[in-house]
Amino acid sequence: MTISRNENERVLIEPSINSVRVSIKIKQSDEIETILVDKFVGFLTKRAENFLILRRVPIEGYDVSFLLTNYHNEIMLKNKLVDFIIEFMEDVDKEISEMKLFLNSRARFVAETYLTVFD
Amino acid sequence: MLQLEPQNLLIQEAFGAAFSEDYQPITLDRIITDFDFTTYHISTPESKTKILLSINIKCWPDLVEHGVLALLAEKYAGFQILDQPEPGWDFSIYVDLETTNFGSEEAKSEAIENLSLLKRNCFAAPFLKAFARYEELSAQQPPDPNNIYGEDSTNNSNEKVLQIHYRDAESIFVKPSNDRVTVIFSTIFKDEQDKVFSKVFLQEFSDARKRSIQTAPQVINSHKEPPLEIRHLIRETANAKDTSYITFVLFPRHLSTDDAKWNTITHIELFRSYFHYHIKIVKCYLHQRMRYRVSGFMKVLNRARREHDDEELKAERKTASGRRFEVR
Repeated sequence: MTISRNENERVLIEPSINSVRVSIKIKQSDEIETILVDKFVGFLTKRAENFLILRRVPIEGYDVSFLLTNYHNEIMLKNKLVDFIIEFMEDVDKEISEMKLFLNSRARFVAETYLTVFD
Repeated sequence: MLQLEPQNLLIQEAFGAAFSEDYQPITLDRIITDFDFTTYHISTPESKTKILLSINIKCWPDLVEHGVLALLAEKYAGFQILDQPEPGWDFSIYVDLETTNFGSEEAKSEAIENLSLLKRNCFAAPFLKAFARYEELSAQQPPDPNNIYGEDSTNNSNEKVLQIHYRDAESIFVKPSNDRVTVIFSTIFKDEQDKVFSKVFLQEFSDARKRSIQTAPQVINSHKEPPLEIRHLIRETANAKDTSYITFVLFPRHLSTDDAKWNTITHIELFRSYFHYHIKIVKCYLHQRMRYRVSGFMKVLNRARREHDDEELKAERKTASGRRFEVR
């Protein structure tokens, strides 16, 4: 099942007999966002061991994949897992755009500081 | 530390200590590095009270061509400049603590500052030369006040461009004309991501002037395409497509007085270092932030973990037919 807002933001949910795979494509509207998403996902996957449900390599066309197996369902509460995935999706978008804004404002600040010294 | 300092802190400290009243002469042999492949060597080859300060700059031949020796001779008139610099180094100053005598504290701190600004002074030579040429040109042909942007000033396009190859594949070009001095930097980013960040930064550099800071030099940037002024000088190289060009247009107000000139020189020299330095800082900050975020997600996930509660587990465990296990 695919749920998508547009071409660049979509979620793929694939159920099977004992697991569910959720793959997320995070919004990337320009070069900077691509880099930021790439780095962010890099940080996540490097910690995949502690991040029980995270797949180390996302499926093609998506940025992050979560695999929820019956084992996870045994050790974790189902509704909390769902909460987590939803929260994750919300926060990632927010975080990426915040970082982008930060980058722009920082660049502006740096440029202005440099140029004000000329007088 | 938002701005980079033009002087070298270690040199400043070394001489600050050496010139102080209660200095215990010691044997020195220090190698100090600075931006743009500059290295300094502080040593005491003969006796403990005679300090030799040598500098090595990658583009020394370029600087010599633009008259750095005369400038340094003037700047460091108070010290003994060696005709033959220390082997392996480009320029050496000998400071004899016993004969050097400063009249006042002020003169002393000025001398220390002067020594620590050695690199800046070296790089200043081509800029000063260009500024002098600008003055000549503007005297010959006063700029037209109605044409402040000089759109059609083709007549001075034949002016010689001064080049400083200050790093392996990066250069500074300085071009004087009758109403401005153009300084062009070429710079290379090895990292693909740095390049994208640099675009954001450069865009802001160009916009800053339009927005708020009217007195700043005009900044124009171009990626891959060398600006017209220096197009004939650019050799085709393998990394041509990684090169960005940043043009600073210095207006007469930046060159009006000696103080203004030195201020301009000091800052423009540091541009590349400043630029690269801040890109690194931003990356560093973003990494930190992402790391924090990831650990935040991890916490949320761990919250979902079921408490290892035997009772609860047993309550949920059922047989195929739906019966619960009973504890007997």
